[in-house]
Amino acid sequence: MAGRRAALKAIDWMAFAERVPPNQKAVFNGLKTRSDAIAARLRSLPEKPAVIDWTFYKGAVANVAMVEEFEGKFKALQIPEPVDTETSKIAAQEQEANKHAIAYVEGSKARITQYEKELEKFRSMIPFDEMTVGELNETFPETKLDKEKHPYWPHKPISEL
Amino acid sequence: MCRTSQSHVMTRLRFNEISRYFFAILVSLWRRVQIGRTGTRTTAIHCTGCTNSDMLSRLVFVSASALKSSGPLGAGLVQASRCLHTSPQTLAPVPPLPEEGGKTRHGIIPEEIFQFLYPKTGVTGPYMLGTGLLLYMLSKEIYVINHETFAAACIGIVIIYGTKKFGPSVAAFADKLNEDKVAKAQEVKDLATRSLTEAIQEEEKEQWRVEGRGALFDAKRNNVQMLLETNHRERLHMVTNEVKKRLDYQISLQNLHRRMQQEHLVDWVEKSVIKSITPQQEKESIAKCITDLKLLAKTTQAKATA
Repeated sequence: MAGRRAALKAIDWMAFAERVPPNQKAVFNGLKTRSDAIAARLRSLPEKPAVIDWTFYKGAVANVAMVEEFEGKFKALQIPEPVDTETSKIAAQEQEANKHAIAYVEGSKARITQYEKELEKFRSMIPFDEMTVGELNETFPETKLDKEKHPYWPHKPISEL
Repeated sequence: MCRTSQSHVMTRLRFNEISRYFFAILVSLWRRVQIGRTGTRTTAIHCTGCTNSDMLSRLVFVSASALKSSGPLGAGLVQASRCLHTSPQTLAPVPPLPEEGGKTRHGIIPEEIFQFLYPKTGVTGPYMLGTGLLLYMLSKEIYVINHETFAAACIGIVIIYGTKKFGPSVAAFADKLNEDKVAKAQEVKDLATRSLTEAIQEEEKEQWRVEGRGALFDAKRNNVQMLLETNHRERLHMVTNEVKKRLDYQISLQNLHRRMQQEHLVDWVEKSVIKSITPQQEKESIAKCITDLKLLAKTTQAKATA
């Protein structure tokens, strides 16, 4: 009666652990302990139940009719496989997670392009030794002295000198 | 680091040809003096940005032929033959500033004069020219010696002594100020590049982490499957065990019955036998036992003595 279920997927816990971000390590540990407990319980149960020797019982028990009734009912008994209610939920969760992941990756890529642009600006700057003040003001607009607000030298409040 | 700002006043003055010649000489000589004495470029800490026409005037030395393209030009003089960078939007990248000022001899006179006159007059040419000019101006009283001369001489000595003694240290100090600024800016730039590269690496690492999300759901599904399997097996086992228990119970019940029957029968037989022994039979059996015992004692005694 075993083996009709989908085979269990082998999980590489080491690789999985590497990818867990540090702030979720506790949750991951909980998951691992639970999984290990379940696996241990499963392993402790033998796959097939013990076989009942009907001939012996027929010979031993006086009430053969009862034994035969038991035998018939036992053989006819089918224990239904437990209904799987959770897998669909898990699949739904997985879809959600995939959506979030794709959105996050998109955002991350956008951020990377932005960083790359800024990095490009820094890399293509002329060295400071060869810059004029005008070029400095272009590259770093915050260094531009506001001549309208402070018309007299040093064109910035004394506290900022 | 910065370029000296040209005095805009000069562009508006109008002279005739010769005065313009002398004035140009004086202007560039004055700038040479500034550069030559301190040994480095003048560093005005705060200066405005300059246009390219200013830059040209810095690099060109004085000569009659070069005058046309250098020095302060009147607003009305446009050189049709040379197209200068007059428009504000020029795409040519500005060449970097020279590190050192123009070379001078004796601190005042530009080296280019000596080089210019060397082919025609040799090494002593410029000196002769200078001496001649000086004597000419003195003898013709173009330059009149008065008390101002003496004052100028004294002041000149003091200035020369001062710049020779303190020039380098002042220059170093000014250079250090600039160096600090540049270093600060460089630090900012380095910090920015470093943090940006680190941020990019972090983002890529996070993307790599995200890729591992499948394992979580695999683990969950595995757990669910394992739980179901466990449940199923437990039920099977339970059924088998219960049936077995009941059958075993029946068997042990039967065994118990059998045993009890046996014991009961044995007890009953014993009891009935004991009951059936009458008192008469008891006396007879006891007498017989005594005679048997006497006989036995005689035989053993006989055996012992023999």
